[in-house]
Amino acid sequence: MSAALPGFHGVLLDVDLSTGTISRRPVPAEHSLAFLGGRGLGVRLLWDLLPQPGVDPLGPDNPLMFLPGPLSGFPVPSASRTCVVTKSPATAPVQSPHPHASTVSYSNMGGFFGPEIRFAGYDGVLVRGASPEPVVLVVDDDDVRLEPAGDLWGMGTEGLDEALAERLGDRRFRSVYIGPAGEKLCRRACILHTAARAAGRGVGAVMGAKKLKAIAVRGSQMPTVSDHAAFLRRLERARRRFEGMVGTLYRGVLRRGGTAMYLELASKRGVMAVRNYREGTFEDIDAIGYKASRENIWVRNSACYCCRLSCKKSGVVKDGPYAHVVHDGPEYETGTMFGSNLMIKDLGGVLKAIARGDDLGLDIISTGNVIGFLMEAYEKGLVDRAFLDGLDLQWGAVEPVHAMIEKIAACEGVGAIASQGVAAVSKHIGEHTASFAIHVKGMELAAHNVQANPARALCYATSNRGACHLSGDSKHHQDFVAAMDSTGVCLFAVSAGRPMPGMSCEDIAMLLEAITGEPWDEDRFMAVGERTFALERMFNAREGFTPADDSLPERFFTEPLTLGKSEGAVLDRAEFQASLAEWYAERGYDAETGRPGAEKLTALGLDALT
Amino acid sequence: MPQAPPPDSPRDPGRRRVLQGLASVSGLVLAHGSLLATFSFSRAAQGRTVHAFAVVADLERCTGCRTCETACAAYNHPATIDGRTLRGLGNPRLSNMRVYGFIPEVDVPVTCALCSDAPCIEACPVPEDEHGRRALYRRPRLHTILNDTERCIGCRSCAAACAVDRGGVIEPDPATGRPTHICTLCDGEPRCALACPYDALSIMRGPVDSELHGKPPVEIAQRMMERWYSLSAPEVSP
Repeated sequence: MSAALPGFHGVLLDVDLSTGTISRRPVPAEHSLAFLGGRGLGVRLLWDLLPQPGVDPLGPDNPLMFLPGPLSGFPVPSASRTCVVTKSPATAPVQSPHPHASTVSYSNMGGFFGPEIRFAGYDGVLVRGASPEPVVLVVDDDDVRLEPAGDLWGMGTEGLDEALAERLGDRRFRSVYIGPAGEKLCRRACILHTAARAAGRGVGAVMGAKKLKAIAVRGSQMPTVSDHAAFLRRLERARRRFEGMVGTLYRGVLRRGGTAMYLELASKRGVMAVRNYREGTFEDIDAIGYKASRENIWVRNSACYCCRLSCKKSGVVKDGPYAHVVHDGPEYETGTMFGSNLMIKDLGGVLKAIARGDDLGLDIISTGNVIGFLMEAYEKGLVDRAFLDGLDLQWGAVEPVHAMIEKIAACEGVGAIASQGVAAVSKHIGEHTASFAIHVKGMELAAHNVQANPARALCYATSNRGACHLSGDSKHHQDFVAAMDSTGVCLFAVSAGRPMPGMSCEDIAMLLEAITGEPWDEDRFMAVGERTFALERMFNAREGFTPADDSLPERFFTEPLTLGKSEGAVLDRAEFQASLAEWYAERGYDAETGRPGAEKLTALGLDALT
Repeated sequence: MPQAPPPDSPRDPGRRRVLQGLASVSGLVLAHGSLLATFSFSRAAQGRTVHAFAVVADLERCTGCRTCETACAAYNHPATIDGRTLRGLGNPRLSNMRVYGFIPEVDVPVTCALCSDAPCIEACPVPEDEHGRRALYRRPRLHTILNDTERCIGCRSCAAACAVDRGGVIEPDPATGRPTHICTLCDGEPRCALACPYDALSIMRGPVDSELHGKPPVEIAQRMMERWYSLSAPEVSP
């Protein structure tokens, strides 16, 4: 095998579960330079691995990839992320000539898994096929094996780290795994790591369909760098971005409140998901906000690999009916989706819901969204109690929500349909519920409401994995996010385009330069993002997605907020359409087909792919 | 139950602060008085040789980020590039510091405790030389523990002794059997403590007299789970 570029191993671990074949798959150098790793490399690989549309996401042909980036494995601040790329089991176009049509899925998780993949000597793990029996994939540097996992099948995620440490005899193994929801092929299942960090948006079902319970990785090697001295200098400079007055300020915010800090702020601004997105302000926010968690739940902060921010909080419910529940959170997304979106103001009840959701391996954003929809349908008399298996699913009712979580993960009773997502439930109940089924391309919106936030509305409508709050609020921001997701570094640690300290795009480019020996600057870095976004778009278009899919639920255009600072806010349809048209033009995408135009493809070096 | 709010006030580690022995005694070594008997330490004047004894961890501050592992490895396993000796890239596998992670979230940074009774040295079967040194011996300066590779017979007795009731830090080299991962204190300026973004590690002058210092990580984790999450002796494997 030819020598890899500095900074890259130039090889993926390629595991075919149908045959049990384990091999090393070279990554062409031009892919590494054009797409880096993570999300970018993922869609480039997916483009080749699924050359035809219509493949069943839960069938053996759908590849499942775990991709760190070129900065992973180095002690760069927050270079801790793993991107899970596959064809989504959770999205669908309005219409398509192809069966099983869905978008690309890129799900990003923090922790220690991505760096460990690099320590083991790979730029990623590619899993194909499907095993007849439950297995766990054990990667110990070059020693790679599949072991029977019948004893782990059925286990919740809470106990899996411990079980795997015991089985493998060393805590140095870092693992990802699915819970019962993934095993049951619940299309809203996650892949978890350290029992609380999650790659969400349905990818757990793909892993479950492959009967792959867990992957455990241990490595002993480091990737190389091209310019050792320059790398050390630039690493120190990157670290200093988190020191000093400005750096300390932002660092302090995340250490103090994590993303939960945004609960109070979002409610105040009227941009929070409340009452199934009917409102943007939660009147009981103080009961579930970060201050309440600091006082009543949290005991410590946790950080991902080499992260200086430690936004993750864990704790225990001290009293009340849910006393002694121990888990992470609430954070902004989980606290909103299992809190304000369901009108729940019992903080212990929220933490219990999060703990169960994680243990079962459910996507908490989607689960909270679907339950919110059912609560509204129940309130409006569009479904009766029998439909809900006897649950009195009223706004703010904690116990029925806990019961719904179990049903969705088990795909039982009302959970059989609810586990397929809010679009499926709405279709099942009737077309008249579509206006308050809050999804884009079949993917549930996250905890950010948009009546008072048009930029985020564009983000949701145009994101390539269906509704996504993180994919960027403008073309520039989208390209930045896609590039960052391809490096292995956390979005929270880079300030670009946002009024917060942290590393800059230039810092990342300079590190890439020292690592790869190639000239990198901000423009080349951002081009990786634009290229990635465009190829994702091409993948979706091949599946049958068109501009008609870049839409938003009717609620946001017709039902103004009635509470709080943003009372009266509602999206203007003409303005939204204008912003979409502007976005298409800026991107160089054809407004009719939604595909990148020939000129743009050439500029991005993607013309050879059509 | 002692309350343990997350550390919030951001503090710069400040190299000097670390070297000066750290002011916040109450925050040191598993944080609380109940686990701490008294210990003595003194501040080293700037510029003077620091007479050090061990790196200690404040578990209340540690977030499990493992920056310490990379800093230790980078210093103790330098790279030679074009004839220049530079810090290594920081492969955590080479580190003498190791952070053990547990669920529910407890992280236990473990490094050689440089135990005052040094069971590793006691276990060394190599006869003492004219200086009274076995193959494994206490170095007068900094009181670190060194291995004389000329005389070491690779019997792994030191590692076995460390594994019993101590941190189990010493790992025999798979090929030679010689002890590895003994803390060097980085010539008096432990890189783990200097690099910690959370001020969780410090160098202690004087004997560390804490109930948990040098104990196996599992035992420490169980204690912290009891303390933080009110979990009584949860089942954890080594």
